[in-house]
Amino acid sequence: METYRKISKENLKKWLTGLKTQAEVLAPAKENGLWMFRDFDGQDIPRSFQNSRLPPKGLFLESLKALFEWKSPGGSLQVHPHAALDGQRVIFGLRACDARALKILEPVFARDYPDVFYLRNFSRTLLLGLACPVQCEGSFCGEMGIDAQDSTDFDIFFREIPEGYIARVVTEKGHAGIEGRGFFEEAAADEWNLTRVKIRGGREKPLFNLERVTAGVVERFPDENLWKRVSAKCINCGICTYLCPTCHCFDLSDLQTRGQGVRFRCWDSCAFADFTKMAVHNPREEKWRRYRQRVSHKFNFFYQNFQAIACVGCGRCVAHCPVNLDLRQVLLEAAP
Amino acid sequence: MNSIQTNDPAPEKNLYQPCLTEIIKVIHETPDTKTFHIQFVDPSLRQTFSFLSGQFAEYSVFGEGEATFCISSSPTRPDHLEFSVKRVGRVTQALHQLNQGDLIGFRGPYGNHFPLDRLKGKNLLFIGGGIGLAPLRSLIHNVLDNRADYGEIAILYGARSPQDLCFKYDLETWSRNPLVKMITTVDAGDGDWKGKVGLVPMVLEEIGPSADGAVAIICGPPIMIRYTLKSLEKLGFSPPQIWTTLEMKMKCGLGKCGRCNIGPLYVCKDGPVFSFEEIRNFSSDEF
Repeated sequence: METYRKISKENLKKWLTGLKTQAEVLAPAKENGLWMFRDFDGQDIPRSFQNSRLPPKGLFLESLKALFEWKSPGGSLQVHPHAALDGQRVIFGLRACDARALKILEPVFARDYPDVFYLRNFSRTLLLGLACPVQCEGSFCGEMGIDAQDSTDFDIFFREIPEGYIARVVTEKGHAGIEGRGFFEEAAADEWNLTRVKIRGGREKPLFNLERVTAGVVERFPDENLWKRVSAKCINCGICTYLCPTCHCFDLSDLQTRGQGVRFRCWDSCAFADFTKMAVHNPREEKWRRYRQRVSHKFNFFYQNFQAIACVGCGRCVAHCPVNLDLRQVLLEAAP
Repeated sequence: MNSIQTNDPAPEKNLYQPCLTEIIKVIHETPDTKTFHIQFVDPSLRQTFSFLSGQFAEYSVFGEGEATFCISSSPTRPDHLEFSVKRVGRVTQALHQLNQGDLIGFRGPYGNHFPLDRLKGKNLLFIGGGIGLAPLRSLIHNVLDNRADYGEIAILYGARSPQDLCFKYDLETWSRNPLVKMITTVDAGDGDWKGKVGLVPMVLEEIGPSADGAVAIICGPPIMIRYTLKSLEKLGFSPPQIWTTLEMKMKCGLGKCGRCNIGPLYVCKDGPVFSFEEIRNFSSDEF
């Protein structure tokens, strides 16, 4: 059952510091000018943090992950699996968009062939969310149905209030996380409801209607001219897929050294021309086909398979595209 | 804090780790194609492993990578597994360097399979081109080992030249089988060639099999499939009567890595076997 709590800023730091005795604790920190989730060392929770440059998906689906290794001592080949990590982990400061993305990805790795690496990373982590006070550059989370001020995709969701934080404790795991500590005090559901704030820089009117643009992407799949036009300036760099919290395509490749080797899983991108290249044929050799695939996978095919749209409107792909290819404009063009 | 780890639904199995198999025989099919006979190193796996005709697997050459091939032997002949490899890229090149006794990794079986239930009682027309005979061969051996369950069986196989014919030993056995109509054709013959000369679709129209109570199962290069479909249509075959197995780039084989999608379909999980009724209703032409 959901409950509500309050905690002062000092106590939040003490609580997180205390958790370090049992778990790896990560919180937002700036490194080389970029926000990321790093080991928590008792620092103040930074107020200037909006979101991490890289999505937290990499903490669950690692950009490079050793799956197993082999050795051939004296010529006899032996294969040894790498175990999934099982140490407890706490991540504080995740945003509502990114937590939804992790939920969206879960069935990909759970269905039919359960992937121990992703699922274990998920189950071993206490997800602590933080409400957004500011609309991120390029973002359209609201249009995608994400409430940046409230979420049940976390174990505990925090909102900053003048006297500290108010917390919505969603899951059993969340309750277990705060149990037995004097840091939290009870709060009422009413208090939670009253602490919602208006997001700075938020739009009065949504940019688009989700149902309409989704129908447009589906309907205009065969419209070659549309996809050629919207993808014309794409340079196939793949940064949109790299920064995307739901993109999950991967490659498997080997690293062989003398007498031993490792097979890795590493992020890959449907933007790359050789992604689907076969011996004599490449079904998505043309750029417009690859761009269409990316948009259609998110807004059409993924929905057909998993009843969720594989986009949370975080805006990273919009804010960091080197040629300003704006997915929001593409969606609007698909459904004017 | 109590344990934050809730009832862990995650399984222990590492999906990506292959089983070790030993190459027990290598057959040189053509100058660029070899067939490998493999057997699980773990004796218990030899007993428990099972698959169905049409399924595929991921094969590893450790240090070079993994590649996707259909299992070209039949589940009715479970002594060992066979797969055939045309030398075209890094992993296939590495496979071609291997010999009897070498170990390779095997993950599978994956994907769907030929619809044996729907083939029973039907006249079967197998049409293969080049290395495309490999997946058909699993099914052909399968139905020949249960011969009484099926009607007439005809096999039309074509290759560019006599030296490009794969599975010559099978072609010979099938041509001597009185219960099989075997036609072999090459695009261009040589001095010794006594079989037919001509492209598969042309030869198909020439032999003119009846579409009544028949199912055609075809596999080969895309261009052969395209023209063979037209010929089958002329002969009265309808799309639900024609089956094939599709090839797409794959890495995981598990419906996760995002490479083999045709629209919402994953060829690795929803295929690779499809009827042309299904294929013509695909929402995407990207295959």
